[in-house]
Amino acid sequence: MVMPMDDGLLEVREVSKTFDRVVHALNDVSIEARENEIVGVVGENGAGKSTLMKILVGVYSPDKGEMYHKGKKVPFPRNPKEAARRGISIVYQENGVIPWLKVYQFLFLGHEDKYIKLMKLQMDKMREQACSILEEFHVACNVESFMHELPLSTQKMVEIARAILGVRLESEDTDTTPIIILDEPTSPLTDDESKELFRDLLKMKKNASFIFISHIIPEVMEFTDRVHVLRDGNLVAQYDFSKQKMTEEDLFRAIVGRKSSEYISRTEEKKVAGRKVVLSAKNLTKSGHFYDVSFDLYKGTCMGFFGPAGSGKSQIIRTIAGLLNFDEGELKVKDQELKADELPHVRLARGIGYFSGETGKELFLNWSIAKNISIINMEKILGKIIPVIHFNAERKMAENIVKKLEIKAPGVGTDCYSLSGGNKQKVSVGKWLERNPDILLLDDPTIGIDVGAREDIYEVLLEMKKKGISMILVSDEPKEYSVLCDRIMFVREGRIQKVLGPEEFRKVMST
Amino acid sequence: MTREKILTRPNLSVEWFRNNTTTIGPIIFVIAVVAIFQVINPSFLSYQGIITLVYAMSYFLIAACGLTFVIMTGSFDFSVPNMLKLSALICVLYIEKIGLLVIPVALLVCLVFGFINGLLLARFRVPSFLATLGISIVLDGIAWYLSKGHLQIMQDVKFRSLTTTFIAGFPSILYWGIGIWIICTFLALATAFGRRTYAVGGNLEGAGLSDINVARQRIYVFMLSGFLSGLAGVLYMSQMGGGSVNIGADMAIPLFASVVAGGTALTGGVGGPHRTLLGVIIITWIQAGMSMLAIGNDIQMLTFGLIAIGMSIATIDRKRIKIVK
Repeated sequence: MVMPMDDGLLEVREVSKTFDRVVHALNDVSIEARENEIVGVVGENGAGKSTLMKILVGVYSPDKGEMYHKGKKVPFPRNPKEAARRGISIVYQENGVIPWLKVYQFLFLGHEDKYIKLMKLQMDKMREQACSILEEFHVACNVESFMHELPLSTQKMVEIARAILGVRLESEDTDTTPIIILDEPTSPLTDDESKELFRDLLKMKKNASFIFISHIIPEVMEFTDRVHVLRDGNLVAQYDFSKQKMTEEDLFRAIVGRKSSEYISRTEEKKVAGRKVVLSAKNLTKSGHFYDVSFDLYKGTCMGFFGPAGSGKSQIIRTIAGLLNFDEGELKVKDQELKADELPHVRLARGIGYFSGETGKELFLNWSIAKNISIINMEKILGKIIPVIHFNAERKMAENIVKKLEIKAPGVGTDCYSLSGGNKQKVSVGKWLERNPDILLLDDPTIGIDVGAREDIYEVLLEMKKKGISMILVSDEPKEYSVLCDRIMFVREGRIQKVLGPEEFRKVMST
Repeated sequence: MTREKILTRPNLSVEWFRNNTTTIGPIIFVIAVVAIFQVINPSFLSYQGIITLVYAMSYFLIAACGLTFVIMTGSFDFSVPNMLKLSALICVLYIEKIGLLVIPVALLVCLVFGFINGLLLARFRVPSFLATLGISIVLDGIAWYLSKGHLQIMQDVKFRSLTTTFIAGFPSILYWGIGIWIICTFLALATAFGRRTYAVGGNLEGAGLSDINVARQRIYVFMLSGFLSGLAGVLYMSQMGGGSVNIGADMAIPLFASVVAGGTALTGGVGGPHRTLLGVIIITWIQAGMSMLAIGNDIQMLTFGLIAIGMSIATIDRKRIKIVK
């Protein structure tokens, strides 16, 4: 057995966690945080980053694994308070700040009992201490101002200071270096605010160690000392930036990368010339999310927006669906201009359907399969003279779909609750197959379902494409792009970087 | 394959019972109510008793059906009792001037206020509790202004015969109530309007993605609720033959209790007007039964408050709601 390294402050080994005994969230993952460093944990959505962190702070307990603190084996904490006693604390991505508290009140929130004398809070002492603490951590702000008055990056810093303070007040031995987990701290911040935050963070390094969770590659490259890469619950790589030279491309590929053999060559690049444009966007902009997005979507083709999470790709597709509105630019369906604030049902009336793989988002889980399929195909089952639902027609329509997609269910009257994830997804696809829209937006169409069901869904989607339905795909699964898409647009930081065909895409992804 | 087997395996009777509590519960409740009152008061189910029960439940059923649609969408309509009151007062105040034309006028007024309710929720994003409570107070003010607080007596015989004519042994108000109930049930279960109402209550975001104009649907539902409250008011006035601004006072909680007791959960998306019939029977028959036994208003209100709370606990799907405000 290898002894933990001397400067290892916190180490977990071979941690595994499954949910409902089915979903493997983590598989034998080992990570380590050393004294006074910023260590990165990176990965796509669903890679297991958050699960791992929740295990570290005692929100979840792992199925298996060991934890070492300063080289000594310790049990996993059972709740956040216990974690704090060991020196581990977390700053969550959002909603950590209480806006209507003053800085010093917020700083000592939950620890007021240590400042009570004769039933009374010693405000002056709290204020004084707050000042000296913020000074120690190089946070420049007035302790008397309200939290919401501070710039976002300073709010984050106060949160971090609060986490360190919490550890100091709770921990058993006084000279423990606090380990602060930062869960995507920069996601609500602008670029400048992020830089500000990191500048302060580097100064704080001598007071604490940080575990930094992110999927934004440049900031990870710039500010962390080492990085662990998680993918699908496995630790796939770890790099020490002081010893290894790496480019952003290398890290990006480590995060999303697949082996080239996984790519099935199914689509041939179709000739775009001669096809009709069904949807065109010109300089579409939503500030904070994406900028100057322009494209033409041709009839019967599929276009993908590809990029890391947070690149703005999902915002683009949601904007086209009508779930978000855009600030500037033009969106046209067959030469008809679309208004920025149209709702999804108006877009659907113009032929744009939206299919999300997130179960429960667009299915009515307490409804039968038949009702779920018929809800967007109402006019097909209503009587011609009296607009009454014809239950026979509804059942037949659903039975057709169930047979065609091989949905495993006792009957079309079965509630969608009791179906498996893959079958739920098939019901969703099935209703769009019946509806036959001009354009179908696919937002992570196969998220969280098994390989077999995935292949079935690809088959249906390809068939729909052949019938002339145009599609736009956004996904976390690179393979999906090479199976479905005719053109792939690389999106990074809200801008389209380059446009590739499926062949080129495969080459880029496999090198 | 085992999964499918589990799915198709016939349920044990206990399990079946647990899965169908919202259907069976109210039926057992009705039987219990009838049995208890019949034991205490043998004239409860006599012909005269039944006529009393019919009078008590019919107009109430119409108002409750309208409220059911609102609750199915996950919203609430506090303005039903005052809508009913205003409609009843319009009838009695202006029947001498414009004759039976008061009926469409009263219905139109309620329809407009229903529209405003819906607009406040769907366009201005005012929570339905608050919007309808506000409108309810406004309606109250209008009712006071129009009636000056005096007791009004309905003199028009034709108007009164709308509900008090006996057909096949029962007063015609029963046929109004049952007729509206059948139409509402049909509307909820066999039309696109009904499907969309369930959809909005069951999964708001999903409804928006499923070809449904959510804002318009909500407005329609509130208009339906307003219209049916108005109709209930017209029939109430016809049946009672008079009233003051006290009409509909203390009706909000029994109305709500009857919808929820039938099995339409406050969370929306389940239940329906077909279930509300049983809820209305439970509530109005308890009310009438207690009145027959000369139990005072105090005990009655107390009972309905407790039933409303108890039924909410029994029917709300706690798995689905994360935050209660």
